[in-house]
Amino acid sequence: MLPLALAAAWCGLLLGAQVVAARRLGRRPLYAPASGRAGAGVFYAFTGALMPWAKESVRGHLVTYAAGILYHAGIAASFARLAVPARALSVVALAGALAGLGLLVKRASVADLRGLSRADDFLSNGLATAFAALAGLAWLPWAAAALPWACVALLVYLPLGKLRHAVFFFLSRRHLGAFFGRRGVWPTAPQE
Amino acid sequence: MDAVLDTQTGLQAFRDKLQEAGACHLEACVRCGLCAESCHYYLADPVPENIPAHKLARVADLYRRHCSPLGLLGLGRRLDEKAADDLVDAVFGRCSLCGRCSINCTVGINLPRAFRAARAALTAMGKVPRDLQGIVDLALASGNNMGITREDWLETVSWLEEELQAETGDPNARMPVDKQGARILFTVNPREPKFFPLSLQASAKVFWAAGEDWTLASEGWDLTNYGLFNCNDKEAGTITQALVDAMERLGCETLVIGECGHGFASARWEGPEWLGGTFPFKVRSFLEVMDEYVAEGRIQLDPERVSEPVTLHDPCNLVRHGGIREPQRRILRKAVKDFREMAPCGTENFCCGGGGGQLAMGAYKERRIGSGSVKARQVKATGARILCAPCHNCIDQLSELNKEYKLNVKIKSVAEIVADALVNPVPAGEP
Repeated sequence: MLPLALAAAWCGLLLGAQVVAARRLGRRPLYAPASGRAGAGVFYAFTGALMPWAKESVRGHLVTYAAGILYHAGIAASFARLAVPARALSVVALAGALAGLGLLVKRASVADLRGLSRADDFLSNGLATAFAALAGLAWLPWAAAALPWACVALLVYLPLGKLRHAVFFFLSRRHLGAFFGRRGVWPTAPQE
Repeated sequence: MDAVLDTQTGLQAFRDKLQEAGACHLEACVRCGLCAESCHYYLADPVPENIPAHKLARVADLYRRHCSPLGLLGLGRRLDEKAADDLVDAVFGRCSLCGRCSINCTVGINLPRAFRAARAALTAMGKVPRDLQGIVDLALASGNNMGITREDWLETVSWLEEELQAETGDPNARMPVDKQGARILFTVNPREPKFFPLSLQASAKVFWAAGEDWTLASEGWDLTNYGLFNCNDKEAGTITQALVDAMERLGCETLVIGECGHGFASARWEGPEWLGGTFPFKVRSFLEVMDEYVAEGRIQLDPERVSEPVTLHDPCNLVRHGGIREPQRRILRKAVKDFREMAPCGTENFCCGGGGGQLAMGAYKERRIGSGSVKARQVKATGARILCAPCHNCIDQLSELNKEYKLNVKIKSVAEIVADALVNPVPAGEP
């Protein structure tokens, strides 16, 4: 499908340009001797630090954390559903859509979160949730027909809004892990 | 008429400080808002402006408009007078750069890194709070951030040496100055000679008890560096260079940073980056040194001498950003009878509210004291009578919180507690 390919190309090019823009700012060489290992910090950042018990912010919001995990699993399943018409993928996508809807309702109803939010937050969530919902309902002909177009819309918008975290999540987390790893703060050791 | 804002200089400083890592952090935020309760500003005053993600969004807007390809599409916010003022409020007025939000960020964003880049831009444009810049200027002009003259410094040390001799009963107890080739050059926060001389005397007593070969410096003795807070790397580097010069002049082996969080972070982690090279000497915290003394049996401690309950504050720049979490705990477990951790503690501990240069910025005093209510609640919950804080900036803030929130605690540095618990070695010449 040409529109899908074009949207993917647009998304890839614009995201790539943003990564290049970030990289062009350069890295300063580090001269202070390390106390720990950057690599160990990065490993921890992508493993232990992601566990629900590792962060106070998550420990206090386990439902939101679970919804977030389910939402992302649903979106991943929705992309897979484009290529593979498996019922299991639709089930995960539908669950993800419901989680996304829940997060959208939370954003709209909690005053401080609403105050923090921008149009991008609602649009990003809306597009991703609609995509997952259509993937979840893809056994219906109209939903199956709409699914690729929902994907096109999602890919077109992705690099313009916060959905770009699909790429920058990994880069940001790597840098954070390296920072705390070098300083001997991560991996978090149990208190003596 | 106001001076025209030099946005080009500001943006250049922003890019220089931000670098790739900072840009990636700015591009990653999803504004989930889960960082809110990790911030003492938000907990004390729960408004959206105090949510770390909200502050980050202001910086990200700047990045998007001026550094990202999306700026070509008109996205982001142009840096103008109003945007700069909003940024000042966000990154100077509502943040102590404690970094508690970054370890609690679900994405993994180093928010202080981005905030420092914004501070660098604002400083370059002359938007830095005047009193904060004044401290940097004073340090550059006088060699220390309180403008203490060389004569006053040396006189204070001389007086404290006499006090040390009287306290230890050892006429040979010394507080050497400019001792060539000493193993350790010990640096102090100017608050010590100015307001807390007994704290400096306590450190000297620990060195004396350990039989350490140490010295103070007549020049380059101030460990503080408010260049870490105005984020002007050139000025910060110049201040750090004074310590490097003292080390080279005296030929010491190890630069020991007294109890000060930002001083440690400046000399240990940032200094080599500011000056563009690895130091030819080791930089250590005094806490690490005292921990070694205890472990090696060079000093003996009697916890019965500190029988009141003690709790420990974790300075952000020392613990969360410095990696010094356990030495002070090992020391206190040996030095006091009843050690009580705060909840949370260690890298998860809350900022006292005085970090990030907040103590220097009078305009935000009310917010600073208000944000300290979180720390006050933590301290009260422990039931401790002594609050140990291995940072003299934190001690200043905690002293204000002590009065404001009626904590009724004595506030001491680790060295002061160690000095209290010391089982004195027999002075030379006595049986």
